[in-house]
Amino acid sequence: MICAGIDAGSRAVKAVLVDSRSLATLGSSVLDQGVYQDRTAQAAIDELLGPRGLTRRDIGRVVATGYARNIVEFADTTITEITCHACGVRHQMPSARTVIEIGGQDSKLLRLSDDGRVRDFAMNDRCAAGTGRFLEMVAGKLEVPLARLGELAAEATNPAAISSMCVVFAETEIIGLLAGGARPEDIIAGVLGAIASRVASMVGRNLEAPVAFTGGVAMVPGMDSALASVLGRPVTVVNYPQMTGALGAAILAARSCSQPEKG
Amino acid sequence: MDKPAKITLEQWDARYAALRAGGLAEPFYGGPLGRHLANGDRRLSKLRYDNSPAALRLWNFLLTEDDRLFAARQAGQKIVGVMKDLGTTAAMAMSLPEVTAFYPDGAWWIPCLMEHGSGVLELADSLGIDESFCPVRAMLGAFATGEHFPRPDLLVCSAGAVCDDFSAIAQLVEGLGNPILWWEMPARRRPADDEPAVLLPTGFVAPASQVALVRGELERVRGALEELASRKLDDATLAAGIAHANRARGLLDELRLLAYSAEPCPMPALEMLIAEMLIIHYCSDRDEAPAVLEDLLAETRRRALARVGVMPAGAARIFWVNPVADLRVMNLLEDCGGRLCGTELLFCHSLDVIPADLPPMEALARTALADPMVGQAHDRAERICADILRFGAEAVVISRIPGASHCALEGGVIGGIIGERLGLPVLEIEVPPLSDSMMPSLRTRLEAIVEVVKERRR
Repeated sequence: MICAGIDAGSRAVKAVLVDSRSLATLGSSVLDQGVYQDRTAQAAIDELLGPRGLTRRDIGRVVATGYARNIVEFADTTITEITCHACGVRHQMPSARTVIEIGGQDSKLLRLSDDGRVRDFAMNDRCAAGTGRFLEMVAGKLEVPLARLGELAAEATNPAAISSMCVVFAETEIIGLLAGGARPEDIIAGVLGAIASRVASMVGRNLEAPVAFTGGVAMVPGMDSALASVLGRPVTVVNYPQMTGALGAAILAARSCSQPEKG
Repeated sequence: MDKPAKITLEQWDARYAALRAGGLAEPFYGGPLGRHLANGDRRLSKLRYDNSPAALRLWNFLLTEDDRLFAARQAGQKIVGVMKDLGTTAAMAMSLPEVTAFYPDGAWWIPCLMEHGSGVLELADSLGIDESFCPVRAMLGAFATGEHFPRPDLLVCSAGAVCDDFSAIAQLVEGLGNPILWWEMPARRRPADDEPAVLLPTGFVAPASQVALVRGELERVRGALEELASRKLDDATLAAGIAHANRARGLLDELRLLAYSAEPCPMPALEMLIAEMLIIHYCSDRDEAPAVLEDLLAETRRRALARVGVMPAGAARIFWVNPVADLRVMNLLEDCGGRLCGTELLFCHSLDVIPADLPPMEALARTALADPMVGQAHDRAERICADILRFGAEAVVISRIPGASHCALEGGVIGGIIGERLGLPVLEIEVPPLSDSMMPSLRTRLEAIVEVVKERRR
């Protein structure tokens, strides 16, 4: 049987299909989030089914996660992204004891027990501080692609001190730094360091290794090393960081297939 | 017995009509809940309420406090505002039949109920106290408008071990022409090894010298109350007042034990929050407050015996720390599959019985010094751990109030101690008075803590 996970995030909708017995990933898709979130979620799943000659009737169970999870009408149930990311990380990196997830509009820290269950978690989402949205603003302001942020940060000689984590104030601060002659490379290095420090404040004093890094921002080169530097521990980016939530949702859907009741 | 349920305001008004037609007897402040919405309490339309007549009475009692205070003034009662004190000076003031005490700090509930309609926060802004301060700044706006309570004949307020925000706001209230009798509350400390110590009602310990200091300060309050009422507030009168307060506290204790431990959950989190708040100053009516609690207790007992509740059995058992500024979050907890299983809303000393075997002023001084807010976060965490064990909670939510300096640092300390001692998951959230924009995020967090609890059960 096939099961599906949908991660309806703030910036993108991710879908994953898994085989319910082997938990092997059969396919995945990503679409930009839109105004009609349910339609986007449907499109993300249809994109996976069509080429395989499948329809939604072939899916045994669908679990939706992400901030727009309740809008995905065709899902059988919803599970929070906390639980789904933990499950997705466990599947990819069973040894992980701490998970850092940075998505489009929030960041999370999960502490896992030896059996992969969530022991505790913290979230920062008061504003876009230290999130993908923040990095997008920085990249846009400096006119560089997101994918090059890490490469440019590595060329920094004098990382700038970024004091504001509010997107609006940070934009003003960056304009001021540029006007003051700061190099973009130094500004980027300062931004990555500031985001890492912000995440580290959620970790507190009790960081348990190994540390897994997931979420869309984990795909930004250099972010993992910025985090590792601040945390003083190696940080491992999981294989499919952007898909981890959807993968976890699909696995949880597969697990519950064997249970008698839906919902 | 009707099946317990949570219903909307609209549903309540329809139910009210049916109950009235069926002969529902109501106290003088009774009536349909919808009338409070018409009076400007806009937030009420977004809440869901317990469907019992006891809950109706509770809400009507809460929402008519302003009317009672203005009526008391009309009747010639002396009105005393007891500021920055959660239960002690109110018990003293209300020992005198000519005095009605109220809790001006409670004005922070005005925007919680009226949203922006009250204008009290905007007024506080204009007086220099903006949103970087605790929502108790609503009190400043309320004093300025004079619309929500009559101008008090006497204002007493503790100073010393008090949040900076509150001190600043209270001083501005005085600056508006409201003289305040300040009394000092020292920061409670642990006694030195060779120092005489006193066990306080909450289980905290303080040096005997600090208790003596507070007793002396409360004597000044006693003197001011006597002058206001033109009669002695002797020990016998005080003892009777304490006995009265203890009766209400005993009822609340029984209600909490039942509501937080019976399965399924017999009384919703929102009504329990209101019931606990009642104990601070009895919503300005010390005789009616116990009757309201008695009704609620009787309903809760009936439900517990019948094993019926407002949500299915098996909900995640959540201990809640600090009051929420947006009442909807109490509904949200239950929507997410959690139930209240113990609370520490910053005034646990108001829930505990005032010692009746001590001279009244000594008993009151010990109770006042037991205030969790005047001691270390560590003390508070100890009490919370004890209560978690008492009620059998499975997880803890620490709810911060933005701008409230008292809460800002405590959450981490308390959460750390709970995690270390009891190994329970702890979630910290922040709930402003108008949390509409944060609701999706709050929902995710509360659903996640419920998922964590349920996973731990397996």
